Amino acid sequence: MKKKLSLVALLVLMVVVSACGNQGGSQEDTILIGVSGPISGTQAQYGEAFKNGAELAAKEINDAGGIDGKMVKIVMEDDKGEPNEAANVANKFATNKDILAVVGHFNSSATLAAAPIYNRNELVHISPASSAPNVTEAGEYTYRVITTDAFQAAYLAEWSKELGYEKVALIYEQSDFGLGLLDVYQSAAPEHGIEVVAAESYLPGSNEFSTILTKVKDKDPDAIFIGGFYNEAALIASQAKRLNLSVDYIGVDSLYSQALLELGGEAVEGFKLIGFFYPGGSNERANAFHEAYVEAYGKEPDTYAAYAYDATSILIEAIKQNGANREGVKEFLDQMEDFPGATGLLSFDENGDVQTEPQKLTVKDGAFVPYE
Amino acid sequence: MFSQQLINGLTIGMIYALIALGYTMVYGILKFVNFAHGDIYMFGSFIGLVLLEKFNASLITAFVVSAVLTAMLGVIIERVAYRPLRMADRIVPLISALGVSIFLSSLAQKLWGTGTHTYPTSFGSKTYTFGNLIFSQIQVLILLLSLALMAGLHFFVTKTKIGTAMRATSMSIPNASLMGINTDRMISLAFAIGSALAAIAGIMISIYYNAVYPTMGYMAGINAFTAAVLGGIGSIPGAMLGGILLGLIENFSGAYISTQYQSVISFSILIILLLIKPTGILGKKETNKV
Repeated sequence: MKKKLSLVALLVLMVVVSACGNQGGSQEDTILIGVSGPISGTQAQYGEAFKNGAELAAKEINDAGGIDGKMVKIVMEDDKGEPNEAANVANKFATNKDILAVVGHFNSSATLAAAPIYNRNELVHISPASSAPNVTEAGEYTYRVITTDAFQAAYLAEWSKELGYEKVALIYEQSDFGLGLLDVYQSAAPEHGIEVVAAESYLPGSNEFSTILTKVKDKDPDAIFIGGFYNEAALIASQAKRLNLSVDYIGVDSLYSQALLELGGEAVEGFKLIGFFYPGGSNERANAFHEAYVEAYGKEPDTYAAYAYDATSILIEAIKQNGANREGVKEFLDQMEDFPGATGLLSFDENGDVQTEPQKLTVKDGAFVPYE
Repeated sequence: MFSQQLINGLTIGMIYALIALGYTMVYGILKFVNFAHGDIYMFGSFIGLVLLEKFNASLITAFVVSAVLTAMLGVIIERVAYRPLRMADRIVPLISALGVSIFLSSLAQKLWGTGTHTYPTSFGSKTYTFGNLIFSQIQVLILLLSLALMAGLHFFVTKTKIGTAMRATSMSIPNASLMGINTDRMISLAFAIGSALAAIAGIMISIYYNAVYPTMGYMAGINAFTAAVLGGIGSIPGAMLGGILLGLIENFSGAYISTQYQSVISFSILIILLLIKPTGILGKKETNKV
């Protein structure tokens, strides 16, 4: 009896699981766009932002009647933030002829692993978040709507000089992303008269920073450059506060999130960062996106949701202009100029890297405001 | 800097020790590594969060209720996922444990979202300064409560009748049951105590960092398991010693050598120690009985 029961339970489970996997079949009246990011694992929150951003873009066009009456459908695949999974997903997308283009992946290492497969199969993919410098050379079908870290870190080094910092400590994530930022900032620092007094790393997802901070405190820096994401940045700032370490903080667009403000509270007041997505300013697309996002999901969008939204919107526009075929999408991207996105006016250079102007932001009274 | 790092290391070491106790008690009896233990710790912390946020519970209530509920969770997991496999090959429950671990962290992501939550208590942020040294209230709590719990556990295991029965079970399940000990109950008890300690550790660390998130059990689990092995897996004082040592080693290698190689150094020390003493610092030698 017991055995029978568990057999029934297993069958039910199998039906449920297969029902979940049964999305995105081939249909004549839909247009499929693949989206991939870490839906499970330690970086699941960024994958969720991808999904939300992309689905919002699809919903907008569908509410307006779709593309020539065809509905846009997002096919979401989980790459777990891992290169080998990303390669599997890329193969899956590439062999499904109904997928016209892909938004993905999150981690630079995942994008780099998947890019050869997309390029071999001549399928366009736009990464909303992979900012490592070497993604530039990943291939002619690889695009991204996030600027390369080489640009952001160099920009930040210049800004540090303007702010009058002489001694800066670097705390960076031990990953392609963190190391890329470290390299560029460290090599740009001397020409701006900045001394890098400490460079300490942590593992993605860690929460223990008191060792690093006690060490940094001894070097007495003017500012700490955080080369990582908002969660860790908030923890670093609050743990530093507990150690009576009061310094300035600078960082790149990866820190832009409501979560930084909620987790960090008073400790993140005065944070200075570069931003591309910034609602509440003169960019109407950003404001409209912000409003629609809050209405749809009941929370504030972070920078990655905005990038995913832009990447998906660009693909939708491409299909609208050049028809539902993979080659047409690429043609559109290559000659696209000043596409009005939530993260600014976007164009791609010959390497598929986005060209856009950043904004200097700071945290004031618990909110992001332009730095003046 | 030295004494500040000493405090940092001791604080985190105490947490490792509390989690490591759960690994070591289960291993001591079943010779099985409960890989889901890190996620149980995470669940304990989330239960505490729900109590504080949704039920406006006091901190003490949160500790007690979360410990009880998490202990029940541990017992249920053992009953559902491990006990039916007890007669199977050793590798089978191990796979089951990995499955439970994935299930728990995915469940937490479904229930509470994938992001990080702050811990809604004002306790612990107050700091005391002695010269260069900075203590926070929560660090004091972690040090004192952990020591008290460990002392209590030690007393329970060595001095009480049930504790003696538990030790007998860990020596040999068939012999203990021949002596009239209900060994299934002892195994459930080991899971309950281990899970309750993990829940308390989870709440304390979440107050310490003011952060709780569904994947926090992963790194903590690995570190605590390492601590248990370092101290001699299966040995209760070993887990305590191993946890504290690992916390200190991690901190000092980060502070004086390099944070980039922090984990490399602590694992190298573990490997070297295991080469010299394969059973861990306080581990008992297992003689092969013929």
